[in-house]
Amino acid sequence: MSLPNISKEKQLPEGCIVDSPTTEQDHMTTGGWRVLRSVIDYGKCTKCKTCWISCPDAAIKVDENGDVNINLKYCKGCGICASVCPVGAIARIPELDFEDVSVYRELPF
Amino acid sequence: MADSKTTSQVKEVTIWASGVIQDAEGRDTVNCIAAAASKEGKYVQAFDNYIDLPDRVNVPVRKYARISSEEIQEKYLYENEHPNMVVVVEPSLIKGFNILRGMLKGGMLVVNTGKEPEELLKFLPNKELLAAVATIDASKVAEALVDDFMDIEGAAAGVLGRGIGAALAGAVAKVSGYFGLESLKEVVQNTDAAEKGFNNVKIKIL
Repeated sequence: MSLPNISKEKQLPEGCIVDSPTTEQDHMTTGGWRVLRSVIDYGKCTKCKTCWISCPDAAIKVDENGDVNINLKYCKGCGICASVCPVGAIARIPELDFEDVSVYRELPF
Repeated sequence: MADSKTTSQVKEVTIWASGVIQDAEGRDTVNCIAAAASKEGKYVQAFDNYIDLPDRVNVPVRKYARISSEEIQEKYLYENEHPNMVVVVEPSLIKGFNILRGMLKGGMLVVNTGKEPEELLKFLPNKELLAAVATIDASKVAEALVDDFMDIEGAAAGVLGRGIGAALAGAVAKVSGYFGLESLKEVVQNTDAAEKGFNNVKIKIL
């Protein structure tokens, strides 16, 4: 049986497992809602990725070294990552203690 | 249109708060402001913003009050287009949103925080619009008493200003002078918080 002639880009990967989308939409940024910012202590972090799989907004990304990074443009500051961290490596610090502004919008939605 | 606004007698107060968590406080604050000004014979309106709904936890929501010595005859929009005064119940919102949107030069800002007014200026890219910025630790002066979810659908008559709304309205009275402390104390339940909000607000004239 011969397979239909489908170009490589349109073929699904094995098991139909696709990479998660990486597109960001600038009109859906929610970082301005945040009251407490989660800050990762990389000295304590064991790279277990519990925070990555628990983040309801998929605002935590794993880079090529296996380190977790929080995307502050989308992090609402819910604090689930800090609650689930088994080694207590994530601290929550008031947003106004930081000088940098992650999102600045004209309007809420 | 904007020119007719500047000569208008209507004073617009916009409140920014976090959705659900501070929804009742935000509404309570505008109701306190409007009720206190109404006691002095002013014409008032107090309402929520339809654009910000549906209300979700922590989403920024806006509440509005209008005070005028004449009848309010403006086109009825569910938004204050040119606020004279902005009150921020959740201080972190000043980093994420243009809270002074639409303000004409010479406006005022009151923020519910324990910080000094000078510390907030670095987060305001359009601070040249402001004539005064003030801070009041309303949760502290109201002794951490906040409204509960029982009143989420609106304030019933007689239970205005139980918590931080009274303290914030007291601070608004001091900074703006739109209404007096005595008329505010007549309408709020927590008169102690209103008085402390009036007396403890830190004002920085720019």
